[in-house]
Amino acid sequence: MAAPGAPGARGGADGELSFDAVIIGAGHNGLTLGAYLARSGLSVGVFERRGEEGGGLCTEELTLPGFLHNVHANYHTFVGLAPAFRHLELTEEGLEYVRPEVQMASVFDDGRALCVHTDAERTHASIARFSERDADTFRRLQEEARSYVDLMLETFMYGPPVGLNDLTKALVTFGLDERSEFLEAKLRGSTIAQFLDRHFESDAVKAHLAFHAAICGYATDSKGLAIGFPLLVGKIDNWQLCLGGSHRLAHTLWRDLVRHGGLVHVQCDVERILVADGRAVGIELADGREVRARQLVASSIDVEQTLERLLADDPSTAALRARTGELRHPAWSLFSVHLALSSAPRYTAAAFDPDVDRAWVINLGYASAAELIADWQAVRQGRLPDPHPNAAVNSLFDARDAPPGSFTGLLRQIAPAKPQNGSIESWDEVKDAYATRCIETWQRFAPNIGEAVLASAIDTPADIARKLVNMRGGDWMVGEIALENLLDRRPLRELANYRTPVERLYMCGSTQHPHGFITFAPGYNALQVIARDLDLEPWWRWA
Amino acid sequence: MSGPPSTYDALVVGGGHNGLCLAAYLARAGWSVALLERRHEEGGGLNTEEPSIPGFYHNLHAQFMEFLDYMPFYEDFHLERMGSRWVYPEAQCGITFADGRPPLIIHRPDLLERTHRSIARYSSSDADTFCELKRKTMEIDQALAASLYSPPPPIEQGALPNPLDNPLIAPMFAHLGLDPAYTLKSPKVIIDELFETPELRMLLYRECVEWGTPVDMEAGGTAFVMSVLWLSAIWKLMIGGTHTLAHAMTQACLREGVTFLESAEVSKIVLSDGRATGAETTDGRTFSARHVVASSVDVGQTLLDMVGGENLSQLWRRRAEHFRYGPSHVLATTAWCLTEAPHYRSADLDEEIDRCFYTVVGFEEPDQMLDYIRAAYGGHIPQPGAGMWVNSLFDPSQAPAGRHVATGWFFFPTADRLDEQGWDEIRRTYNDRFLEVWSRYAPNINPSTVLASRLYTPDQMDSKNRMRFGDFSNGAFAIDQLNSSRPFPEAAQYRTEIEGLYLCGASSHPGGGIHAGCGYNAYKAIASDHGLAQLWEANGRIY
Repeated sequence: MAAPGAPGARGGADGELSFDAVIIGAGHNGLTLGAYLARSGLSVGVFERRGEEGGGLCTEELTLPGFLHNVHANYHTFVGLAPAFRHLELTEEGLEYVRPEVQMASVFDDGRALCVHTDAERTHASIARFSERDADTFRRLQEEARSYVDLMLETFMYGPPVGLNDLTKALVTFGLDERSEFLEAKLRGSTIAQFLDRHFESDAVKAHLAFHAAICGYATDSKGLAIGFPLLVGKIDNWQLCLGGSHRLAHTLWRDLVRHGGLVHVQCDVERILVADGRAVGIELADGREVRARQLVASSIDVEQTLERLLADDPSTAALRARTGELRHPAWSLFSVHLALSSAPRYTAAAFDPDVDRAWVINLGYASAAELIADWQAVRQGRLPDPHPNAAVNSLFDARDAPPGSFTGLLRQIAPAKPQNGSIESWDEVKDAYATRCIETWQRFAPNIGEAVLASAIDTPADIARKLVNMRGGDWMVGEIALENLLDRRPLRELANYRTPVERLYMCGSTQHPHGFITFAPGYNALQVIARDLDLEPWWRWA
Repeated sequence: MSGPPSTYDALVVGGGHNGLCLAAYLARAGWSVALLERRHEEGGGLNTEEPSIPGFYHNLHAQFMEFLDYMPFYEDFHLERMGSRWVYPEAQCGITFADGRPPLIIHRPDLLERTHRSIARYSSSDADTFCELKRKTMEIDQALAASLYSPPPPIEQGALPNPLDNPLIAPMFAHLGLDPAYTLKSPKVIIDELFETPELRMLLYRECVEWGTPVDMEAGGTAFVMSVLWLSAIWKLMIGGTHTLAHAMTQACLREGVTFLESAEVSKIVLSDGRATGAETTDGRTFSARHVVASSVDVGQTLLDMVGGENLSQLWRRRAEHFRYGPSHVLATTAWCLTEAPHYRSADLDEEIDRCFYTVVGFEEPDQMLDYIRAAYGGHIPQPGAGMWVNSLFDPSQAPAGRHVATGWFFFPTADRLDEQGWDEIRRTYNDRFLEVWSRYAPNINPSTVLASRLYTPDQMDSKNRMRFGDFSNGAFAIDQLNSSRPFPEAAQYRTEIEGLYLCGASSHPGGGIHAGCGYNAYKAIASDHGLAQLWEANGRIY
């Protein structure tokens, strides 16, 4: 034990830092990969720049003590599907989810409301109030999508990417166009808005479905994204809330990792990946310490930091480094207002459909897909759209996230990454007024909200970028969702299979196939590649 | 798939550092242990957050670590290997003046000549006295530590409690060459008798309350030695914020197999045949304990709220009802995001003040300091003045590059002295009032260099951490609530009158502060009652 007063004393001398696997970034993908590797018998060290593990899985008391707000990830749609839930026994660790019966709703200025339930019959009844035909169409779409969504996602998401042409060929060979009413190869040339126009007649129904895609990060007017839309519908009733806050998932993954011998070192910014003879052998931390990696290094952070900062002097990646300008980031991001509320919203539209008062995620006011497209265009041009935020009150389903009798609320609005064509920092000047407008919009549909607000906290695209620096410019998907930036083109063809030009250096974060969101897939898919390279026993295949 | 098991050998209520410590030792001794934490994060007062601008980390409670060199938990569970790291600043605590007087700075004990030089600018005899006392105190630091990391001497039933009945005191005073009559005096009286310099007296008054000892507490001689002579100026700074220590402690617990139950607020300690056999949570979960329920929550909440007064004897009920919180140990944390570090006027005379770990700002005369302390203890909001830490001077990870983060303490009245609106008003205005003061001492700190500030008040500490009335030591420091009488004589050995129920939190000896001594001593009591391994006195430790 060092004597107090030892000159120059500085903590950190107890044990050199050396692991079989070193992972950069403790978001859910880094933790997932780490937990699998730890369960495979490797010693694992995860190094995280922030003070908490989880990345976007952060839950904080942003407004008042006792009010837990999910700062980023709020909706978990791959619960039960992602292999990690089974393999890592997450529920045994105490992870709990709730799947609200009324999943989503749209409320419209004419006082009507549309609800998507977990019960398909009730969804049908709700849509039928707008259009009988659309209700039938939606039922067929959902049934069809359900018949293949799990298989398709398991095949195409939870494995290294295949090329779009190979994917198309496989679907054609399968006879998709004949077998399916909705999914067809030519959708790779269509926008979601076109898909909706083709199949649906009611503006309200189309607005709600476009809104659903928007929340998933799929722009209504982006060419090619229609091909993913049936898959979104297949999971439209599987939106789940992590009880106790999304951060609990991060804690659960962390605990699994540590129980199996791994460690997470927080507040450890990584400065460099150490490469010797073309092979990754460790990392250097910003404070100068070196961490040895005996078998591999995996980066779960963005490509730019990985190439430009961590590999700045590495010759084997110079060609890729020169191409970071090609990486696609959207011009839009999310603007959030977190609220502490003294009462839950009571919607005027509850007179039309009482279920809206117990719906989880609510579209406030988009009455047509065209309105959404107008907003997409506005945000891409750096203009603040008239607010059409979506609202979610988690406390309706999780009594632990607010003091008794109180509620948390979240308003979220698609927004330009750089408002007014200025810098991202200019958000600091406009955020207060815009937040007020968002709250006023909510009040228009739920008049009691005005008096219910106890406190609020704003999270702008600039704040996202400050807090989670790998979400560059507020890019919460860590790479745009666009056909040119998916599958084997994500993030660049040369990096798409999770390997890099540096031997034993892998990419395992949301930059990779499939994309951001709480999918666990990039980490899981990187594991498949690493297992092959390291000759690991794939115990998870039969678990 | 049903979540974690519901029966354990021991349940530990509360996941602060004392609860974590006890859980780790019990698990190492071979017991199955579950730790129930009301919040979504472990660590209790070890919480570091980004309450204003992302990237600026503030320690909302615990700031400096004076026990790391002594803490058995730290050594026995290799917390540095678990990710804990610290810096030991050279200039430890100082006071700065606005009027051209030189600052007074107390340096680390291994740099006593610098301390001597600083005090000697005012009085060479004070410099001699202080440095000699500090040197001699550090010679017996292990014995002083042993008094914290051991249960207090028991009071025989029926005997009169006597705070001086401690075998440590007489030899300690003899070693230090201090007048034994000081044992009965208050720290203020002792400071005034020992030192002639008003500026030094002011700093030492502040040092005294820093550890929670009221300056006017009679029979405070031992507390003076502990807080002013020993524990001052041996302060470490946790790299990455104090929550990283909680993180390392949690990883240590996970390695030992402790089960973590978060968002698990205990509403009731279950009794069967008068024995504590389990705990119920507010959301209706029940957990059973085969042997022990240990509570690190304060004694009032444990006995009155969780056990229930009706299950206590008349004496215990009376004791619990009259256990006092505050007025000592109540503070507000002021948090600042700065574009530059403070540059004090008095740095012209000693530039070390700009690199001082803890700097007292806003006090010119001893009476001003006493008025401040007495106002807070008397239930009034004092005139602004603070002790400030600029942790980013020593640890760049706590602020964005090129920025600085300052955190300070205001000693404040207990939460019940103002109503909700009153505290709201303080939160809105008090930081600005302090800024005017601070600017007089450090002119470069003004509205143009302040990016944001937040004030975290005693009522919020109550609602966030259940530190009743904002009392972060879970019970007043007063001669009748210390040592063998903490929390009250019958409960001072960590056992309660309920079989199987133990106390392991800061309302037990040695009280508040991040030493994990309450949990460690509770382990000693439990181990001796249940025949568990004597895991203490490892590595040649005398406690």
